[in-house]
Amino acid sequence: MAGKALEIQSLTKKIKDKVIVDNVSLSIEKGEIFGLLGPNGAGKTTIIRMIVSLIGRTQGSVFVNGYNLDTHFKESMSEIGAIVENPEFYKYLSGYKNLRHYANMAKNKISDERIQEVIRVADLEEAIHQKVKTYSLGMRQRLGVAQALLHSPSLLILDEPTNGLDPQGIREFREYLRSITKEGISVLVSSHLLSEMQLMCDRYAIIEKGKLIHISSINQLNDQNQEVHTVMFEVSDLEMALELLSENNLGVDFKKVDQNQISVILDKDSIAAANRLLVKNNVDVYAIHTVTTTLEDRFLELTGKGSQEVKTSVHVN
Amino acid sequence: MFMLIKNEIGKIFGKKASWIYMLIIVIAVAIGGILEDRIGGEPNNNWREETQATVNQLQQDLEAAPEEEKEWMSAELKRQQGFLDENINPNAKSNWHFMNVTVAGVTMLVTLFAVIVSSASVSSEFSDGTIKQLLIRPHERWAILLSKYLSVIIYSLLLMIVLILAGFVTGSILFDSVDFNTKFFENTLEGQRIAQLGPQFFLKTVYYLPSLLILITISFMLSTLFKSQSLAVGIGIFVLFLSSTLGGLIVFLAEKYTWAKFLIFPHLDLTVYALQDKILGDVTLPISLLTLGVYYIIFIALTFTIFQKRDVSI
Repeated sequence: MAGKALEIQSLTKKIKDKVIVDNVSLSIEKGEIFGLLGPNGAGKTTIIRMIVSLIGRTQGSVFVNGYNLDTHFKESMSEIGAIVENPEFYKYLSGYKNLRHYANMAKNKISDERIQEVIRVADLEEAIHQKVKTYSLGMRQRLGVAQALLHSPSLLILDEPTNGLDPQGIREFREYLRSITKEGISVLVSSHLLSEMQLMCDRYAIIEKGKLIHISSINQLNDQNQEVHTVMFEVSDLEMALELLSENNLGVDFKKVDQNQISVILDKDSIAAANRLLVKNNVDVYAIHTVTTTLEDRFLELTGKGSQEVKTSVHVN
Repeated sequence: MFMLIKNEIGKIFGKKASWIYMLIIVIAVAIGGILEDRIGGEPNNNWREETQATVNQLQQDLEAAPEEEKEWMSAELKRQQGFLDENINPNAKSNWHFMNVTVAGVTMLVTLFAVIVSSASVSSEFSDGTIKQLLIRPHERWAILLSKYLSVIIYSLLLMIVLILAGFVTGSILFDSVDFNTKFFENTLEGQRIAQLGPQFFLKTVYYLPSLLILITISFMLSTLFKSQSLAVGIGIFVLFLSSTLGGLIVFLAEKYTWAKFLIFPHLDLTVYALQDKILGDVTLPISLLTLGVYYIIFIALTFTIFQKRDVSI
């Protein structure tokens, strides 16, 4: 467990006979931004709420920075700073009093200097003594980050943090997350916004219907893209082209996309070889282009949401 | 725990309403004082002669009166004679008379506001969504709930102190100040009983506190059961009014069924024990306290068990 910011083991939540979260295990390294990805209602929020013990676990254990949540509740919770969905505050109190309130609840005494520091980091110096009901959504979001960082946690948990933020706010938020992980803080972030997660996370897990269906690193995804591409060939004779490529073992996963296009998964060198082969055998090549695999494609592929596309194409091998 | 309670009290006083409730109590006491001052008229200095005249008149009338009227007339005669025997002015007014009658009546407002604040205590955190941020701290749930419960009790006691201070100040400004131990007659269901002003007031206050605690506990339980603040407060006030209107029905039921005596409602107003020794025929103060104690334990156990296990999924 040492060295892991968060480790969850066979986390399960059942409500009556309905399984909300099914045997999910994962771990987060120190200084890593880990994304929890999935459609709305997949169980991301339930997983997060089980980690912060807002919801009871039917089964499974949680270790935060090595502390077992069951046996060392206070120690574990001290390591966590979280915003669960929209950050809600006592609107009739000022931002400062809200922070003071949470500071009073920390295990170790939090100095006034520390409070001033997080206020500065969250860029709320001017409005901090105004009542929270006067704050804009972006300000509340920043106050949310401030309260989560107040007690210098080692793990920051953010549930749908970019909900309601404008593009500028999302960008700032992303940069901000990057800067805090440099200090060794790990981040667990959930979202259904795939493109966001691709820009934000080091690694991600895909959750669907309560199950962990894929766990991967975004860098891995990018590396793959550099070596293996999904390539579209626009050619004069589809059947002939498919036959030639498969006979010569150039690429895998052949698909007919439409009447004059095929898609093949190839590495870079094979693209040239394939082109040569087709031209030599009198198959005219009108266009060759590579398709980058985005997280969204991977997500749709894994969750089966891309099935409409699959239906229109024909598998050869 | 100290810090948790400090936080909760800070939140109670962060709401304007909590200050307004205190203000309302002060205003209610002031209005009560002014009304009593204007309506009651000046205390009569010739009360001995007048009471003697009433007694003489009653004695004469009693001989000629028909049989059915004799009973209440002799009771009234006894009452009037009592004033003379004990040398107590029946129309006396003083700061402590004011405390005993008007201020003791305004405790209804203390109960009402205590119930409102208590029912909002947990439910408002659910309504506002702040419960999520509150429970992800390194504190056990029971400790957070206990701090809320204690802070509501502290606020209610503050309301009570505001009431007593406002009553004493208003009474001392508007009326003559008399000795703490001045005797007076308290009217009860069983005729009148002689008592001392100051001690009687504080006896009523002490008898009032257990019922206040129980009502706070009931509304606090409702507060943890409902996610909606308005629903919790509404039901809390409903229970409060139910308890004060069910009295007649319970007396009727208790004559027929013994179990009716152990319903919570007749025991909620212990201040009657400041006036009489028994209620519902044979129920005494220790029995009432014991009954309340059993209910109290059940309510507290329910509240804490439910809150401890509850999934926060708002």
